[in-house]
Amino acid sequence: MADTTLTSVAAVPHAVHDYRRHGTGRWFVLALLSFLLLLVLFPFFLALSNSVKSSVDYAMNGPLSLPTALDFSALVKFWNLADFSRKLLNSAIISLAVAVVGVTISLLNAYAIGIGKVRGSRVILVVLLLGIMVPQESIIYPLYYMAKATGLYDTQLAVIIIFAVIQSAFGTYLLSSVLSSFPREIIEAAEMDGANRWQILWQVVVPVLRPSLMVVGTFFFIWTWNEFLIPLVMLVSNNNQTVSVAMGLTRGQNMSDPTLQAAASLLGMAPTLIFFLIFQRTLTRGVVVGAVK
Amino acid sequence: MKLSTLAMAIGAVVLTSGLAYAQENTFNIWWFEDAASAQGITWTKALEEFKASNPDVTVNFEQKTFAQLQASGSMILNSDQAPDVLEYNKGNATAGLVASQGLLQSLDDAYTGQGWDKILNEGQLTLSRYDDLGVYGSGSIWGISTYGEYVSAFYNIDMFEKAGLKVPTTLEELTAAFEAFKAAGITPLALGGADTSGQHVLASLAYTKADDTWVQNYQGLKAPLDTAPYLFAAQTMIDWVAKGYVSKDSTGIKDPDAALQFTSGQAPIYISGTWNLGNFSSSIKDFKWGQFLVPTPKYSVGSTGNLWVVPKASKNAELAQQWISLLLSPKYQTEQANNGGVSIAADPATVTNPVGQNAAAVFKEIADKQGLGFYPDWPVPGFYDVLIQKVAGLLQGTLTPDQFAGELKQTYDDAQANQ
Repeated sequence: MADTTLTSVAAVPHAVHDYRRHGTGRWFVLALLSFLLLLVLFPFFLALSNSVKSSVDYAMNGPLSLPTALDFSALVKFWNLADFSRKLLNSAIISLAVAVVGVTISLLNAYAIGIGKVRGSRVILVVLLLGIMVPQESIIYPLYYMAKATGLYDTQLAVIIIFAVIQSAFGTYLLSSVLSSFPREIIEAAEMDGANRWQILWQVVVPVLRPSLMVVGTFFFIWTWNEFLIPLVMLVSNNNQTVSVAMGLTRGQNMSDPTLQAAASLLGMAPTLIFFLIFQRTLTRGVVVGAVK
Repeated sequence: MKLSTLAMAIGAVVLTSGLAYAQENTFNIWWFEDAASAQGITWTKALEEFKASNPDVTVNFEQKTFAQLQASGSMILNSDQAPDVLEYNKGNATAGLVASQGLLQSLDDAYTGQGWDKILNEGQLTLSRYDDLGVYGSGSIWGISTYGEYVSAFYNIDMFEKAGLKVPTTLEELTAAFEAFKAAGITPLALGGADTSGQHVLASLAYTKADDTWVQNYQGLKAPLDTAPYLFAAQTMIDWVAKGYVSKDSTGIKDPDAALQFTSGQAPIYISGTWNLGNFSSSIKDFKWGQFLVPTPKYSVGSTGNLWVVPKASKNAELAQQWISLLLSPKYQTEQANNGGVSIAADPATVTNPVGQNAAAVFKEIADKQGLGFYPDWPVPGFYDVLIQKVAGLLQGTLTPDQFAGELKQTYDDAQANQ
């Protein structure tokens, strides 16, 4: 279903533009895009070139010069200092759990709101969206006291629960708008065949919705991976901490170590980058999910 | 279906990893000093000895980040997760706050009991004492610092020798040195106008016109601001910009970039704190460098370092005190100075590293004449950002020295009246 809309959307530009007639415009667009691409790639370049530079080299030649010799000591140092393999595992566990739990909650909510036609569904959606608009700083103390009261302070479970709930607000919004345009005929046909609501959800809705669920899950994974404040506050022990919290190691009270910082940025963004490359197609489909409505 | 089993499996992993610790007779210790800094190196060595002399105790060390303790320090101290001893940022807003909240154990008895009173003097305890409101200077002892820090001018000895210049001992000689470099086509002073070093230069200059009363009133928020020292400092700074002693684009420069101008050998002088010593020692290879104090009659920008505090929830307060004693011992004070740190109680004669020897001697000199002027942003909450903003305005030329001093006075006097 989603695939058919995809191809029809993709086919539109070819019909409208005839590229051969707009030669100069085409070059202009290419130049502009190349320029933007350079802007986007520049920070990556800085992180890469400075992370393989020795601190002496940096002190003499500054951040913009190319490294005089390859020196991986900053990368090794940060990896060991932060116990980075452990942090990767922690971030992966937390992000994956949030993605799975968050998508499940979103799906159940959206099924009720989008297909079940709950009364006041619009109000419910607005209230849920308010949840993600509240700055995290303002809810950090209540979260801290709740986590302490339940004995979850300094556990990854606390972070998983918090983010699964916060992010499912957005997931509910997105999925229920997709589900509200879900073809009624399919559901009616399933009902005719004697399927109950549970069976309709798992055997009819979920298979059709799978691409959208993947998109939402991918977003949740990346967002959770990049979260900083709540993991910083909730995860006290080094063994529980995430990648983004570990990156704080490179900034001291008065000093920062630029090559170490570059190494940390490079190592910190590499997993999301790899994840993005793997799920690139799912994410592009995500843009279309919004457009279908 | 498949999703839910996966979720449960992950949940189980998380729960077990969370419950991994809960041992008897453990000693948890945290600090956030960089592992490569003089403190980091020294404390790591001391911890080895500490472990060896307490074989029946499991010592768990965690390298914390400044950001984490800054964001959630009081939350951690108010929970079961608090360690037995930790490094904590000095000052009213940090150590003072948690002391006043009753989250720390008083070290009054240990101060005499452990013999720390024979090592430290009252001047070095100013930032250890906090009253009921969390204001430093009086009240019980809540933390102990084992090192010092101060702002000085780092200078490139090779460039000074080449220009035939001596180390300046008065402000006039400093200005003359600037002029000589300027005449040779070198911009002499690297300045982070948009960062901490900008306000440290400002305060150093203000302290050239400050006496005991002014500094005590200023730091104690005791009277409306007497702007004369700041007016002088502001005037001097814009003179330096006008004469080209400071590069015109210093306004937008951050400390790491200003330090880079020094380490790369472009600028012969950089005024900043002793926290740079570790970086400079390891990254400057192709010239000789040294430090001199910005010439002032008595006060220098500086203070004792961060505090070792014992949380209320600490189950091993005695071991915590033993740890602090170890760091204050001559062995580790000397060790710290040899690693290029600013030791509080090292005998300069026993220190072999010239950087640490000089730093310990200079700090002793300042401390002995009670000349620690502290930092300019301390008296007023949020003053740090105000100073950064106003110094940038001054250097850009959007504020005259009079306006600059007037705007500082307004913020300061508001805070002074409403305290």
